[in-house]
Amino acid sequence: MEDDTIVCRCEEVTVEEIRKAIREGAVDVTGVKRRTRAGMGLCQGRTCEKIVTQILVQELQQPLSAFKQATVQTPVQPITFNLLANASHD
Amino acid sequence: MTDRADVIVIGGGVIGSAIAYYLTKERVKVSLVERGDIASGTSGACDGNILAIDKMPGYDSQLTLKSQKLLDELVESVDYDLEYAQRGSVLVVEDEKQEPVARDWFTRQKEAGLPMRYLAGREVFEDEPLLARDVIGLVECASDASLNPMALVYGLVEASRSTGALIRPFTEVTQILQDSTGAVCGVKTTRGMMSANQVVLAAGVWTPALASTVGVAVPIKPRKGHILVAERSPRPARRKVQEFGYLLTKFGGTEGRRVEAEMDQYGIAMVFEPTEHGNFLIGSSREFVGFDRRCNHHVLQLMARRALRFFPTIRDLHIIRSYAGLRPHTPDHLPIVSPVPAVPGLYIAAGHEGDGVGLAPITGKLMSEMIAGEPTSIATEPLKLDRFDK
Repeated sequence: MEDDTIVCRCEEVTVEEIRKAIREGAVDVTGVKRRTRAGMGLCQGRTCEKIVTQILVQELQQPLSAFKQATVQTPVQPITFNLLANASHD
Repeated sequence: MTDRADVIVIGGGVIGSAIAYYLTKERVKVSLVERGDIASGTSGACDGNILAIDKMPGYDSQLTLKSQKLLDELVESVDYDLEYAQRGSVLVVEDEKQEPVARDWFTRQKEAGLPMRYLAGREVFEDEPLLARDVIGLVECASDASLNPMALVYGLVEASRSTGALIRPFTEVTQILQDSTGAVCGVKTTRGMMSANQVVLAAGVWTPALASTVGVAVPIKPRKGHILVAERSPRPARRKVQEFGYLLTKFGGTEGRRVEAEMDQYGIAMVFEPTEHGNFLIGSSREFVGFDRRCNHHVLQLMARRALRFFPTIRDLHIIRSYAGLRPHTPDHLPIVSPVPAVPGLYIAAGHEGDGVGLAPITGKLMSEMIAGEPTSIATEPLKLDRFDK
């Protein structure tokens, strides 16, 4: 992958920025996210999480199975303020 | 592995990294130890406020102002984009019942030296046009600011590392070690021993458990707070907006707010914060529910409802994420930045509740001054651990 390839389209994070985050100590998808915003956008990592994991595999030279999925936080898909505020049941 | 340092700082959040930064700047040899990844606890699950407006006028607000001045220097000297923006902040006055209290707050903050304004009637909507039409006033502090808290932690850690600090993530301290006189001589970790004659506990809500390994009681309790993240959108307000009732939930008295009982039960008060990326954050909640960091859907629902009460135009905007963090609460709402009298060489810097980001610079500076035995930038009597014995 080229350095300037965009991995996270929502937040426009490049391969190089992700590699830099790993050099600074990120060891998983969540660590990359906190340092670069990759996965913090509208799609919440649905598009980029697998690619970020592949870069972690390459850079840290560990098997794919060594990496956990990022922490899943509610909501599972975007929801409007109105719908959340006025939903009739939890 | 036996590391030898002058000072071991325990905790890789915003407080520990600020302490490491200021000590390293004074050429002290520091090891920073963190159980998980850097910024993976409370500092990775908060918002990024540097606010004087919601501090008790007096010592509390002076501490914040000192910290803001240090932060101005940090923004220049740290080689990291902290996403710092000084847009000011406002408190929204809901009704006639809150007005005299809010005007009194405004007067006291102005007398304490803050750049305050009180806006009423039409001025409110000229200033923030999208606020609900029935609110009646705004208290503004023009010097309040915000930043990205995780960027602040990483910036401080990278600056410390590049000037000689040893950074040890994924290393859990299991015991603080004492010599035969009872003085600190190091720590035992999951990756071996580390030695130093001074140890700073900067582990936020996890501080009491570490202090108990040397028989020291620290009155810090985890207070959970939720945050909602909204999609990128045109901003419903141009700067930080908090309901005046936030002060009531913060300091404990909830009289004066006309809300459903559940809002008070979960300590819910509307806090709006725009970010540099075009998203905005919505808070807040305050609950004592132990160390459970999972989001409570019902609390999120009440927070969304409270946000709509002040910003009706956001009803069709999307929430993309939520998270909860554990704020380190002390009985008097001030942090502990102090030596531990019973254990020579041991220090505590924790208990900042929701003010850790704003107070990190002054905390780091004070700790480096205390360890060097120099006069401190501000009196530290109100921050002493033994104040709770009295």
